[in-house]
Amino acid sequence: MRLLIIEDEPGIAGFLKDGLEEEYFAVDIAYDGKTGLDMALINEYDLLIIDWMIPALSGIEVCRQVRKASITVPIIFLTAKDTFEDVVFGLDAGANDYIKKPFEFEELLARIRVQLRNKSQIDDALNAGSLTINPVTHQVFCASNEITLTPKEFALLEYLVRNKDRVCTRSRIIEHVWDIHFDSDTSVIDVYITFLRRKLEAAGCGNIIQTIRGVGYIVREPGIS
Amino acid sequence: MIIKAKNSVKESHSFFKGWSVLSLRNRIAFYYTFMTAFLIALVFAVIYFTVERIVYRQFDEEIKKEISEILSDAKISTHDFKGFASFQNQDIDAAVQDNDNDNDNESKKKKKINVDTEFIQVVDNTGQVVNKSSSLSWCVLAFNPNQTGTTSFNSNFGGVMVRQAQVPLINSSGVTEGYLIVAVPLKNAMIVLHDLQDIFFFSFPVIILTLFILTRLIAGKSIRPIEKVIATAEKMTQANLDQRIPLPYHHDELYRLSATFNALLNRMEDAFQREKHFAANASHELKTPLAIVKGTLEVLVRKPREREHYETRIQFCLKELNRMARLIDQLLMLARYESNKMNAHIETIVLSQHIESVVERMQQSASTKDIAISIDNTESDLIRADSGMLDMIFENILTNAIKYSPTGSSITIAVKRVANTIVCSITDHGIGIPKEKLPAIFERFYRVDESRNSSTGGFGLGLSIVKKLADLQHIKVTVTSEANRGTTFFLTCPAEEVNC
Repeated sequence: MRLLIIEDEPGIAGFLKDGLEEEYFAVDIAYDGKTGLDMALINEYDLLIIDWMIPALSGIEVCRQVRKASITVPIIFLTAKDTFEDVVFGLDAGANDYIKKPFEFEELLARIRVQLRNKSQIDDALNAGSLTINPVTHQVFCASNEITLTPKEFALLEYLVRNKDRVCTRSRIIEHVWDIHFDSDTSVIDVYITFLRRKLEAAGCGNIIQTIRGVGYIVREPGIS
Repeated sequence: MIIKAKNSVKESHSFFKGWSVLSLRNRIAFYYTFMTAFLIALVFAVIYFTVERIVYRQFDEEIKKEISEILSDAKISTHDFKGFASFQNQDIDAAVQDNDNDNDNESKKKKKINVDTEFIQVVDNTGQVVNKSSSLSWCVLAFNPNQTGTTSFNSNFGGVMVRQAQVPLINSSGVTEGYLIVAVPLKNAMIVLHDLQDIFFFSFPVIILTLFILTRLIAGKSIRPIEKVIATAEKMTQANLDQRIPLPYHHDELYRLSATFNALLNRMEDAFQREKHFAANASHELKTPLAIVKGTLEVLVRKPREREHYETRIQFCLKELNRMARLIDQLLMLARYESNKMNAHIETIVLSQHIESVVERMQQSASTKDIAISIDNTESDLIRADSGMLDMIFENILTNAIKYSPTGSSITIAVKRVANTIVCSITDHGIGIPKEKLPAIFERFYRVDESRNSSTGGFGLGLSIVKKLADLQHIKVTVTSEANRGTTFFLTCPAEEVNC
């Protein structure tokens, strides 16, 4: 999952990046509103975290512009503005959630998970056949066998399962799982896919990731094919 | 009329009780009506008494004429009275007849008092009636033995109001032997006077009542804009200060009241807005370092890490905490100055010595950027100021000058005497302040660099502190600046008067 943080305080942006990367997110940072808006419009993100008071373009304006471009990406406001009028104003500008500074990092994580949840999902667990992914605890089970994955492998599998029954092109995989500073050599995906397949096969969920030649990969619910 | 007066007494009693809660329009109406009632009563009284006097004067003249006629007819002199025998009944009645031609003799015979004719009576000095006109019939005119002159007075006999006068009859030896009394009936005059009285008594309350109602109406109409002011003011809360009073059509006192009120509201709204901004800024500036420290530490303790990682993160947190402590210091200082709990201890100070000591302290930070600070003062510079506060002013301005100056540039401090003030200028050659931003630089939390990022380290409080401190010491702070050329701050201090 790839996130964009638009935040002018390097201190806050810094620990958010640290913490979120540890949670297997690919994190990009923009230090002002204008850069942030450009990045949000060009790249495809799974979630935006925006501070209200940022230079060049206010968080509210970034939020409005993003919505104007018909991008439905979840947006979480992160700001020191704390009156209820501010909260209402922020949410009305198109934000999905609003967290007041100072905040608990765990709370932010929980709120991010809520925004990434599919509409039909009751909890955060992701399923594909007998495969279960728990993004809260970062555990992956094939039936009852736990599979140990590296952060990148986990992020890759999570992305594929979240988009199950849809083809994930190589470029989209790179965009969502690796952050912006990664070069465009997509052969790294194949390497990680190989690792993942090997571990899944050992646990008994061997054929879950399928290759669409020349395009990318897909995770299919067994029986639909 | 008496009943009316009683009523009004009752009214005015409860009316004084409720005076304080009486509406303005009622009060205006009452005042106005009271004053007018008094004036009208006065005018009525003057008219009434003037008419009365004119009427009586006419009667008096008639009586005088009558007396002289009688006396000449009877060939009597008042100063040489020859005895009552001079008066013959015929003479007296003839005198009455003379003046009463249309009066018929029938009435006299009926032994009734003829009220339309004159009455003549002669009395001796003891008051015994010697002779009287037949018009008097069986009645006798009043006689006042103590009266010596011929003044007229009102009296009545047998239910008839008359105006009468008595003339003393004095014999040749100077003894008053008797009196000639002549009276004329007042009937017609009394009707006129009574009518006049009635008209006044009845019209007075009607006029007053009408006046009160009209005044109340007019007063109500003319103070209606006040109701609008009240309605607007009642609707006003701290949250919606944007309401304004509609200005009345006429440019009168109420227009000025409304305009003044609106101006006051503008100022209040501005002040509230500034307070709101200040609160928002303060909370942002305080919460950000708190969020940074909290978040960094939270992320740090989620997993075990290398010692080095811990150290860099904790150092980072300490830096943030120090920054926060500095901000809290400045905020508290500002709060103390603004609540005016801090009094300036104004004393005579040698300005140049102060500047030198401050520059010495700032030298270290200046030298890290290779900035030269030069002091240029040639004139005597005794000023009246608080030394501690003055130090802080210089420190703040110099810190800014150093912070926003490029490496290797220079800062000049000059002191000049202008009239009875000492002007100290601090000039840097730094990034300067754009003209449009100059007016705002003394506002709390205002920073020319709007991104408010902490890389330059300031909070935007330094210059507000300078301004506050300067105000406390009656020092005027002005600033000129040109973007990318530099900034000059002028401190105009009251000079110590040197008595030569």
